[in-house]
Amino acid sequence: MRIILGVLERDAGEVRWRGEPVDLATRARFGYMPEERGLYPKMRVRDQLAYFASLHGLSAAEAGAAADLWLERLGLTERAGDRVETLSLGNQQRVQLGVALVHGPELLVLDEPFSGLDPVGVDVLSGVLGGLAAEGVPVLFSSHQLELVERLCESVAIVKDGRLVASGRVEDLRSQGARAVTVRVAVQAVGDEWLARVPGAEVVDRGPDGVLVALNDGAGPEAVLDAARGAGTVTHFALERPTLSELFRQAVAA
Amino acid sequence: MSGLRGREAVRLVARRELTQKLREKSFLISMGVTTLIIVLVAVLPPLLGAGGPKEYTLGATDGESAEIARAAAKVPGFDVEVEVERLSPAEASAAIDDGRVDAVLSGGELRSKEEPDDELVGIVQAASSQVRQAQALRAAGLEGAELQRALNPPPVKVTTVEPVDPERDRKGAFAFVAVLALYTQLLTFGYLLASGVVEEKASRVVEVLLSTIRPKDLLVGKIIGLGLLGFGQLFVMTAIGLLAAALSGALEVNGEILGAAALAVGWFVLGYTFYAGLFACAGALVPRQEELQSSMTPLTMLILVSFFVSFIVLDDPDGTLAHVTSFIPFSAPITMPPRIALGEAPAYEILIAIAVTLISALALIPLAGRIYSGAVLRTGSAIKLRDAWRATARAESRA
Repeated sequence: MRIILGVLERDAGEVRWRGEPVDLATRARFGYMPEERGLYPKMRVRDQLAYFASLHGLSAAEAGAAADLWLERLGLTERAGDRVETLSLGNQQRVQLGVALVHGPELLVLDEPFSGLDPVGVDVLSGVLGGLAAEGVPVLFSSHQLELVERLCESVAIVKDGRLVASGRVEDLRSQGARAVTVRVAVQAVGDEWLARVPGAEVVDRGPDGVLVALNDGAGPEAVLDAARGAGTVTHFALERPTLSELFRQAVAA
Repeated sequence: MSGLRGREAVRLVARRELTQKLREKSFLISMGVTTLIIVLVAVLPPLLGAGGPKEYTLGATDGESAEIARAAAKVPGFDVEVEVERLSPAEASAAIDDGRVDAVLSGGELRSKEEPDDELVGIVQAASSQVRQAQALRAAGLEGAELQRALNPPPVKVTTVEPVDPERDRKGAFAFVAVLALYTQLLTFGYLLASGVVEEKASRVVEVLLSTIRPKDLLVGKIIGLGLLGFGQLFVMTAIGLLAAALSGALEVNGEILGAAALAVGWFVLGYTFYAGLFACAGALVPRQEELQSSMTPLTMLILVSFFVSFIVLDDPDGTLAHVTSFIPFSAPITMPPRIALGEAPAYEILIAIAVTLISALALIPLAGRIYSGAVLRTGSAIKLRDAWRATARAESRA
């Protein structure tokens, strides 16, 4: 991300946007929120937003209007005249987001935008990002909160040690996981020894909802269900696709 | 909507520096206090009677001493006024102790609390020998016009090769104030610039800034913004100071003084241009305000040394040291203005000094810009100068 925004030198490769190499003029149309948040602590909220808007090429009048608009959208209108250092961390985070958005970027790059947010903050940010994506602004963000990523994102890329280890649409990744079929099954008051009778079945995980079984070598879920019925009363049986977290563990372990 | 041209980015950054500082209470208060001090310095001395003839009160315990004391008031060549007070020997000690008299003359002895002024001793010695000579001449039978001629030989006439400037002392005071103002202003704005760089670095806002504008534009914008502020502040303070001095009569404000004042303000611009890039680098190399002091030390030392040298220059504005330091870029902004104020710097020397400082400042800015660019995005610990230099070299070779 820092390479996209030109604050870190690339070792190799190229950054392109709409087929053209990215330069300063292109970057001015991007919005950026670094992982280490950065604002002028002593500058007032509205001044700060307007300043960054004008640095991105907006005229003074446009910058002022854009600052007011985003103050309202982010619920900061009452704090417009306050110095940033007097704001709570949550509100500072909102200002930081405002700085990334105030000039109406073509592309939004956010490094760990959800870290340090409370659930309400997460909802507000998710809403804003969803709205932008719906307007056609690509939003690229990094996160370790994979449930959130799974819920919000269309496509993901998993990077390990600077290399891309998996990428694609979330749906595709989940259905293309190494274990094509897993089932979670629970049988009342019995362990999982009965699974040994199903060829190709392998216990992946044991949880309160039962055991997670991976089916290898062409074994079908029906065989598992039959064996489970034979063992006792089945209280839970469901086909499960791998979550993003599991995909992530797999990809990183590989 | 497209990317900003460099010039526009520089303008925006400079404007932010200027307006933010002007809205800072601490900045406005310190400026108010400084202005007040300048006005006091300009107004107080004449009000307190400084600069006029010196006044002494001389006690005398006997007739001969009183005669000598009266003669002392008339000794030519000294700018003093002497008041004579007749005391009894018993009163003398008390009068010295409580400071009613500066010294007491009794029976050929001059007594005072502390070592008396040379001037006072000089006139008393002269008066004493005059009175004693008169007595001796009278005893030898000399009288009337002959006695007067013997006692008042024509004084030695003093002439100088160069014309004596009657305003010399006042110009010296003005030059001293100019040195003080330049020294303070250079240090203050160097520090403001460096700490502004650290502020951006420590708060990480620099990463957001540099995703939009070039490091060079940010640096130049900051330098120009604070430079304009420093220039404006110095200009206003100089104007107020000169006005106050003119109104109080401390200084005769004529074309010469105005020219020297304008040149002093101009020298701030030169000196600031020379030092600004260096101060910005000192800021870019450290991660926190706490470490700024040590990284600025070489620069503050240069300014401090120049400041001390300027005292020697004030004393001897035509000496070797004065000539040499006028052409060294780091000292010229502080040692040249007092020479100009004292009228001791020929025009060609002023021009050469300006050219030397300006050229070295212009040569320094790209170097400073390179170090700044290489260092400002590196967070964490302090950075070695060499690493900052190389970081940019790598970036440029790939771009």
